[in-house]
Amino acid sequence: MATPYTPTVHGTGVRATIQRFGGHLAGMIMPNIGAFIAWGLITALFIPTGWAPNKTLAELVGPIINVLLPVLIGYTGGRMVHAQRGAVVGAVATMGVVVGADVPMFLGAMIIGPLAALILKYVDRFTAERTRAGFEMLVDNFTAGIVGAATAIAGVLAIGPVVEKVTEVAGDGVAWLVSHSLLPIASVIIEPAKVLFLNNAINHGVLGPLGVAESVKHGKSILFMLESNPGPGLGLLIAYLLFGPRSLRPSTPAAMIIHFFGGIHEIYFPYVLMKPRLILAVIAGGASGVLTFLVTGAGLVATPSPGSIFAYMAVTPKGGWFGVIAGIVIATAVSFAVAAALLGFGRANGDQPDEPVQDTGTNDTTATNDTDDEKRDTTGETAAESVPATKEA
Amino acid sequence: MSTIEGKDVRKLIVACDAGMGSSVMLASTLRKQLKGTAVSVEHTPVNSIPADADVIVCHTGLADRARASAPGVVLVPFQVFIGDPAVTRVVAAIKNGGTIDG
Repeated sequence: MATPYTPTVHGTGVRATIQRFGGHLAGMIMPNIGAFIAWGLITALFIPTGWAPNKTLAELVGPIINVLLPVLIGYTGGRMVHAQRGAVVGAVATMGVVVGADVPMFLGAMIIGPLAALILKYVDRFTAERTRAGFEMLVDNFTAGIVGAATAIAGVLAIGPVVEKVTEVAGDGVAWLVSHSLLPIASVIIEPAKVLFLNNAINHGVLGPLGVAESVKHGKSILFMLESNPGPGLGLLIAYLLFGPRSLRPSTPAAMIIHFFGGIHEIYFPYVLMKPRLILAVIAGGASGVLTFLVTGAGLVATPSPGSIFAYMAVTPKGGWFGVIAGIVIATAVSFAVAAALLGFGRANGDQPDEPVQDTGTNDTTATNDTDDEKRDTTGETAAESVPATKEA
Repeated sequence: MSTIEGKDVRKLIVACDAGMGSSVMLASTLRKQLKGTAVSVEHTPVNSIPADADVIVCHTGLADRARASAPGVVLVPFQVFIGDPAVTRVVAAIKNGGTIDG
């Protein structure tokens, strides 16, 4: 508490690197989630097994998933690397992997979009110093055109087929896991990674692209639900409300609303990081949720983003409510039960923080002591008795 | 380690991984709390913090990325998304005067 403003920032460089890489992957998908939702709604409504089958409108489904969404991803990926010019060549290059592919080319777009933009960035760097005054526009337009055309061709001939193969193999791997009921084990990796802020990377960088390929084939995919299930986080928060350190209890109802209805899962990560062993609770909750989804054959049409109950309901295919809701409820219950046990049903935590805080330089009093700071300039000895502010929620 | 006086803060950035979820939530909270001050509150992905940021607020789990993304800018890491004392202090420093270190 010597420097209350600045808990020492540490953490492994590896983690930050993975986060950053994952952040780039998710950064290509997340700005386009609106388009994914649009596709999910159109699909859920108008396909032959949908709520309001309509042949004419169902024609939107294929082109959006096969062309529009990958191109948007490639565009966004290119923009991240080299602004508007990168975005344009990223989109053009993505057409190369899209054409002739049988699966939605999300992974391909995530590779070739930034790659094309990177190439253009180097080309621009090369030409910038050599272009004579007055010829900039001519040079810029043609370098972008040439890079775009070349990467599109490379996409059709080389990258597209390779990525399609990779997507198929990965899809087969997932199918194998599903058929052997091994998918719940994924929670052992997913849940800890989530609280290290790799949630977007996992959901949008890895599971989403695979899920879409499956969804197009089978009308739904369980992969969308592995990371995004709001159940485990909700169970954990309920356990905190009833059995957590007293000083933290008042903040949990607002956190629950934000988590479960607003879909912002980040809100519960600190509660795990403060008592790292609670990771077991969310793992158990996640795994039992996945198992329930498997057993009931549940799946979603598109990725629910954010992971709110409302988003879940919106992309549940017709007739799929039971399995989806059951998976969320069971995940909540299991996560709650395990977390409650780990919290000693409230007895283990009087008011003393009994775990070192992972990954931060502060101690628990910093986190728990959140009343108005005028009263709170001393150390946090009395924090446990005071009521944390939840007024803004 | 740098510091800034609360009265000199013009642009406060709330950063999160994607710049779309938790940062938006906290930014809207802070915007309400800082209403009437000259401070503009924006949210961004932690990888693309604008150069003219005066203070960055982000979760401790993302703090090393924020440091790399915007070296030299005052960085205030926090632990919980609701009512974190570190964030409360920033608001108080801006409103009532005081120094923010980070």
